[in-house]
Amino acid sequence: MPCLKKHSLLLAAALWNLMAGAAPATGIQVIANPSVTATAISCEEIKGVFLETRTALSDGSHVEPVLLQSGVVHRAFVKEFLGKGDAALETYYRSLVFAGRGLIPKTLESDAAVVQYVAKTKGTVGYVSAAASVAGVKVLDIR
Amino acid sequence: MGLTWKATLLPLLWGSAALPLEAQFDFTLGGRPVQIHSFASQGFAYSNQNNYLTMKTSRGTFDMTDVGVNVSIQLTDKLRIGAQAYDRDFGSLGQWHPQLDWAVADYRFKDWFGIRGGVVKTVFGLENDTQDVDALHTFALLPQSVYPTDLRDSLLRHRGGDVYGDIPLKRLGALAYTAYAGLRQDGLYGGYPYLLSGSGGHLTSYGGLQVGGDLRWTTPLRGLLLGASHAGADVSGTGSWTLAFPGYDPFVIPYEEHSKRDWTHQFYGQYTTGNWRLASEYRRYWRDQVTFSEMWEVTTDVRGWYASASYRVSKRLELGAYYSRWVVSWVNTMPGLIPAADQSSPDRHLYDKVVTARFDLNTHWNLKLEGHFMDGYGGTWAYPSGFYTADNAQGLKPRTNLLLIRTGWSF
Repeated sequence: MPCLKKHSLLLAAALWNLMAGAAPATGIQVIANPSVTATAISCEEIKGVFLETRTALSDGSHVEPVLLQSGVVHRAFVKEFLGKGDAALETYYRSLVFAGRGLIPKTLESDAAVVQYVAKTKGTVGYVSAAASVAGVKVLDIR
Repeated sequence: MGLTWKATLLPLLWGSAALPLEAQFDFTLGGRPVQIHSFASQGFAYSNQNNYLTMKTSRGTFDMTDVGVNVSIQLTDKLRIGAQAYDRDFGSLGQWHPQLDWAVADYRFKDWFGIRGGVVKTVFGLENDTQDVDALHTFALLPQSVYPTDLRDSLLRHRGGDVYGDIPLKRLGALAYTAYAGLRQDGLYGGYPYLLSGSGGHLTSYGGLQVGGDLRWTTPLRGLLLGASHAGADVSGTGSWTLAFPGYDPFVIPYEEHSKRDWTHQFYGQYTTGNWRLASEYRRYWRDQVTFSEMWEVTTDVRGWYASASYRVSKRLELGAYYSRWVVSWVNTMPGLIPAADQSSPDRHLYDKVVTARFDLNTHWNLKLEGHFMDGYGGTWAYPSGFYTADNAQGLKPRTNLLLIRTGWSF
């Protein structure tokens, strides 16, 4: 299974929170700059975009990933959508940049920073917690 | 001397360089992202018997240092350019002669079709194009049966071009392909020139055409990657050879060698699940070389494989182990050089059992402790395997234990 369904993600994020002693998360939203014409994104596309093997969605929209630096939502997203641990993802991105095959994607510290950056940067796709305010960006349905 | 100043000065220099390097790694230029990244490592190697990889390991040595720095710019959505410089000093390897590691213009028309040209790192197996970057690996020394650090130039990069792409297969996973052609230009401070220098050879150039490809399949089984690589080469080397006969003054003759047939296959698989990473690769290298200006033909058949496992215990600790197996056979050799008929002879194999602990002191700095338990010393006289007679004048012993301590930075 390329990624878990939405309710599984909610559960995973909630479990992470419980283990970390934090308030339960309410899930993950995948967001995009309004220039992205797609209204939905598949699990396969999410994986491709964030592992830099895919630079366009099925409708032809050029996209670039934006990541959270850390946190419950980040760990849940990386594990469930990309099938990697946090350290393994870091190693993966560095292998791209040191082999001359890519750049390390933008990472930001908070939901608000991701939303703000995605809102102003053409073609960007990111993820934030379901509780985050998403003014100025488009929320993509996960197919 | 090398031990003293390297042991003290280099770690201090890198430590002091760490903060500014980290601070300037990402910025924009004319609205386009620019990234500068670097890596460096310092090792200490100590062996109980033979000297290994041209280092004086039997005495304990810090002569294991490397550094790389790159810059990349995303000029447009589809066009990226960048370059990386690399330098190292591993015993007699590298000797601080910097190399242009890669310098690439990469244009991606579609996800399934892109081209890149310039000095391009060769995609070949799991680790070939990142083998120099210590920070990316669990192990302080990659399995030498498949990634020989003294012979890294032979497949590391080419001056030419690649076509590449990623093809989603929906429920069947995804395929990634790379096909390339270009000129290979080996450095003159690698293992093969060093091997020849031990008997009077002096190469001034070594390289030639290289054509190949890599196909890897991200299977539907989550975490499982399978792949295969192939390269064919037409290599020639030129230089001189100093001949010395008893009772006569040494004299120098021109030296030339070239490929009659030269190819490498590699098959590989990797499985990651949870905190585990399991990997295995097999490489066969067939080298049919005509030497001494058509005088002799030397045909070498090198086969190596390894199986590795690593487990991330915590954010700060990863444990790993591998078994690496390398064997060599000669179909043709030079007169007077008669290899042992039996593969169990130490000059025809090198088996290495390895255990490692990697400590991630922070996101950018790691320390590795690694033990190697080696059986055999491989083909010391016609094709190197890490052990050189020039470094082991007392004669090679059949077994070697090696302790490696290596610390690496990357930003």
